[in-house]
Amino acid sequence: MRFSHAAIGLLLPAGSVWGAADFENAVASVLERRCVSCHGPEIRNADVRLDNLSPDLLHDRRAAETWRDVLNALNKGQMPPRGAPQLTGGERAAVVDWLTAAIRAAGEQRRGTGGKTAMRRLNRVEYRNTMRDLLGLDLDYTKNLPPDELSRGGFKNNGSALRMSALQLEYYLEAARRGLRSAIVEGPPPRIVSHRATETAADKVREHWSNRLGRTGTFVVRSDAFPDRGEFLIRVRARAELPGEHSPYPRMRVSLGYRADTQTPSRQVALVDVASETAEEFVFRGRIEEFPRQSRTQSKYPGLLIWIRNAYSDGRPPPEPEEIVSASNGKQKKRYVWREDPRFPKIVVESVDFHAPLYARWPPEHHRRLLPQTPGSAAAEPAAAEAALRPFMRRAFRRPVDGADVAQALAFFANVRPAAESFEQAMRETLAMVLISPDFLYRVETAKSRGQSLNDHELASRLSYFLWGTTPDDRLSRLADAGKLADKKILAAEAERLLDDPRSWSFIEQFSDAWLDLEGVNRIAVNPNYYPDFDPAIKADMRRETQHFFAEALRGNLSALNLLRSDFSLMNQPLAAHYGVRGPRGGAFERVSLAASGRPGGLLSQASVLLSNSTGEDSHPVERGVWIRRALLDDPPAPPPPAVPNLGGEEAGALLPLRRQLERHSDNAACAHCHRSIDPWGIALEEYDAVGLKRERILRRNGEQEAWHTVDAAATLPDGSAVNGLDALLDYLLRNKSRDFARALTAKLLTYALGRSLESGDDETVEALTRNFIAGDYRLRSLITMIATSDSFRGGQG
Amino acid sequence: MSGKSWRLSRRAFLRGSGVSLALPFLECMRAETGAEMLPKRFAAVYFPYGVVAREPGTPAAQWNWTPAGAGRDFHFGKSHRVFEPLRSDLTVLGGLSHPQCRKMGGHDTADTWLTGSEMKEGHLNNTVSVDQIMAMRLGSRTRYPSLVVSTDGGVGEPTRASTLSFNRDGAPVPAENKPRLVFDRLFGVNADSLAARRRQLRNSGSMLDLILEHSHALRGRLGKIDQAKLDEYLDSVRRIEQRVERSEQWLDVPKPSVDASGLSLEADDSTPAELIRTMYDLIYLAFQTDSTRVATYQLGNMNGATSIAGKFPQLLGLADNMHSLAHGARRGDAGAEPLGRWHMFLNEQLAYFLNRLKSTPEGGGSLLDRTIVFYGTSNSQTHVNENYALMLAGGRGLGMKHGRFLQFDAGVPLANLFVTLLDKMDAPARSFADSAGELTALTA
Repeated sequence: MRFSHAAIGLLLPAGSVWGAADFENAVASVLERRCVSCHGPEIRNADVRLDNLSPDLLHDRRAAETWRDVLNALNKGQMPPRGAPQLTGGERAAVVDWLTAAIRAAGEQRRGTGGKTAMRRLNRVEYRNTMRDLLGLDLDYTKNLPPDELSRGGFKNNGSALRMSALQLEYYLEAARRGLRSAIVEGPPPRIVSHRATETAADKVREHWSNRLGRTGTFVVRSDAFPDRGEFLIRVRARAELPGEHSPYPRMRVSLGYRADTQTPSRQVALVDVASETAEEFVFRGRIEEFPRQSRTQSKYPGLLIWIRNAYSDGRPPPEPEEIVSASNGKQKKRYVWREDPRFPKIVVESVDFHAPLYARWPPEHHRRLLPQTPGSAAAEPAAAEAALRPFMRRAFRRPVDGADVAQALAFFANVRPAAESFEQAMRETLAMVLISPDFLYRVETAKSRGQSLNDHELASRLSYFLWGTTPDDRLSRLADAGKLADKKILAAEAERLLDDPRSWSFIEQFSDAWLDLEGVNRIAVNPNYYPDFDPAIKADMRRETQHFFAEALRGNLSALNLLRSDFSLMNQPLAAHYGVRGPRGGAFERVSLAASGRPGGLLSQASVLLSNSTGEDSHPVERGVWIRRALLDDPPAPPPPAVPNLGGEEAGALLPLRRQLERHSDNAACAHCHRSIDPWGIALEEYDAVGLKRERILRRNGEQEAWHTVDAAATLPDGSAVNGLDALLDYLLRNKSRDFARALTAKLLTYALGRSLESGDDETVEALTRNFIAGDYRLRSLITMIATSDSFRGGQG
Repeated sequence: MSGKSWRLSRRAFLRGSGVSLALPFLECMRAETGAEMLPKRFAAVYFPYGVVAREPGTPAAQWNWTPAGAGRDFHFGKSHRVFEPLRSDLTVLGGLSHPQCRKMGGHDTADTWLTGSEMKEGHLNNTVSVDQIMAMRLGSRTRYPSLVVSTDGGVGEPTRASTLSFNRDGAPVPAENKPRLVFDRLFGVNADSLAARRRQLRNSGSMLDLILEHSHALRGRLGKIDQAKLDEYLDSVRRIEQRVERSEQWLDVPKPSVDASGLSLEADDSTPAELIRTMYDLIYLAFQTDSTRVATYQLGNMNGATSIAGKFPQLLGLADNMHSLAHGARRGDAGAEPLGRWHMFLNEQLAYFLNRLKSTPEGGGSLLDRTIVFYGTSNSQTHVNENYALMLAGGRGLGMKHGRFLQFDAGVPLANLFVTLLDKMDAPARSFADSAGELTALTA
């Protein structure tokens, strides 16, 4: 045997099925038999010699390049050349599997950070939440920021993946200035504008403006006076007209603003159910500077506009108006009438009040929190600046600040004050500088560089960004100041407290999006030729269903196995209507029993997952299979090879369901090898169509031709088990894969908590957490607490 | 800045005229700087996943992206008919690719389309893109050195970048993807007074100085991995400092006033036709108002797993997403048509852009005569990193010769073309990436 290398074990993660012994036993012998006669010591075709090529892909970069060529040549079917003896299926599998795993492992190891989390920039969600909490104002701080970078695992909070650029920094500075301009006020208390309307504004445009809002109709309020800045309040008095006892509720959409010269449409203030047939008051608040406003000299639609519409939809399009022509004084007059549908739930608006700016005291609370002192003289300004900066920087930097920190900011204040028009203006600029400092934009953890565990403040930040996606609150900060978080019991109790707080929604949303790839619904366009009634607006509800479902399991501390199979889900009215399930009457999500629905509950039956992994026309068994292996089993298949061979099908295939077209994968040895372990998982979901509805037949179209097929959800899983349909698949998963599922969920949660990709060094931690998770009946909350108190989370090595 | 006064007067004139959009560049206003100072512009537009490339003579080949014939005697396939009237303004290029990038994954090469350097598994570093070299050389003459847009926005992830542009350190330049934001950046009016804006810019300058100074102490407390992150931040601070300086230079020059009413600034990924046209409109307006001279536009990236552009063909009524269309194009007689139709659509959008440039007069010719548009992808058939589908349009006034289909040997690096383009754009370079000379055929 000419292959002999010692270092092979280094490059494969522990737990990998492939190692040095495999190379010696399986791979080397195949190469020896099939390749070396042309790529060996005597003949070196294409200058490639395999007999002495190092299998250490991590350290020998040149060898790694050649191995990549070998894999490509095998996948493309270029080698062995035509006429030469070909590889058997087993031989091919041995070489391809080893190469694929070795290339991947070497890449991961090279990219790896040795178990350290790279300093994390706040991502968009974290930045927005943190700014909100710091400035005390909920503005859209991220509207200009570019999308966050995804890690390979799909996470948006991975320190290595998140980047910084000049453009990004410019937008941070702009957002800080914009926020501070609102948060810090100047001058005497502004006059409060109030406006009341009991009738919709009338206009000559061909639009249905009315107090009664059905399938058409808009209630429009126009206030000529309005401030440019400040909190506003809109109070709407409205009632519902419900056509029946079980009628869905109408949904009231309130939007504000419009700008003609830049064609900026109005922005939504709120969307609420109107459930009562006796009039009720609805109160909405917002910041007026967040909405498009007319320049005051604009004439087309002068003033500030409030728009109220009925957003309930039964899927039918709004009717065209009837044109009524009447003659008076010899002139023809046109009038438009919109016919009401008696079966459509309606909103009757009785009155709308608008007040702005709103404040209980002047200056408002958010101002006083940022600038506790208003200096009466120039001499008092430095002290007032320091009194503001010290607590602000403490909160912004999420750690105690030292004299040097404050001195730097004070120096800046002194520098800009002479040119500034006021103390407040100079302070806005000074605080803006704090808000573009690395200590604010990044979660700095310095202890770990010295190999120590995180200090209390770093730990407090980790915990609050893990479970709240924002900065620690006062209580957590105080505990950190007092050095209490080193106590695991206190840390665990804090994790529980954070989970109980509504702010944990940020975690639920971000984690479930990343783990389950819920944004996938936006990637798929549903073909109206196949689904004529599909309303794309429901995609957002599909994503919400899964988020609420995860939240229910988490907040109720249910067994995570509920995520695989449950007898309930969470739906709102549009989604229940989509599934054809009896559910809530309004837009809010409620727990819905699936007992009588014929659908097993759980992630795999949810439209978010089924649609994301479809073609928009039909199911996509490969995508669904990949999803199951990635999300539920944490065993993602290798990416498709660089050159996928032609499937060589005929166009008649277009009339076949995708599942049938895919069978060609199994006819081709190069494809079959990988797809055998991918496709069956997805095939078991064949009873569900692209939009997540149960089906008995599959429609395929090709031009004018149409074909119907019966559903075939029978699959043979990689271990030889036969399953037919989702129910059987769930039985199988619960019986045979609950441990893998527990491990997958643990690994994903740990990845999210640590903000980095897991490496082989994390295997032990994941194993231990998984064991305890299972021992604790798969309780989700307990798992999160275990992660929060784990050495990885608390330690420098995390 | 000696050029400031005429710019001011030109803008003032434009505003006074009230029809700023229809007005071409007025040569007389630049008399003092000479006719050779007419702007030279470059735009690169990329689409993912490759094209129809079927055996000539088969029924599927009518949808081939590459024309039949050679030299001046070539025939557009069905998807390219829209270019027939523009024939004398464009050249189709065959055979070129980045030889260094052939080993990369079949879907990995959008990142390197304008850079030409291999990104290897593991470190995945990139190098500067050709447009950014131009931006460095030409950028000081306009308010913005370059305009970088894409459908997905941001930078994406290595080998699945959602931007075409990479700065001189090989770091991705984030792409804008919201038309409204691009418009505001280019033409939006800041309500603050000039004095207030000047003060703010000055403040920004000293802010950034202080931060750079203060960060030394922080750097010392960080481990190696974190230091690399901080360095990226500090590099961004230095770059933004340069931006602040240039913003100050441009402060007195009002932004060109552009009427938004003809633009679909709210277009998003649910309406691909409006979105793509609006992006082209914005690039056109940026060029026409001389707000920038360099633009890149990535119509889609090759991240089937996350790109919001993948569904565009379906939204237009074609059977499948971009990725599947490209795969399907290799199959059967009918498989090529959907991809061909998708490219027909994309070509119509490009032709719209080219025609807008062509119908805008400038210095005795048109904007198109002084704008080189590089269009194409980094695959031939999908997954194949060779023989890219490529086209060059415009720039006749810069010495480009058109009206041909030029087929090159597989060994000719695409980077040769970049060397030629850099030369034409007054940013000459002896070499670029793995170039081995120039592509003189383009100018001969």
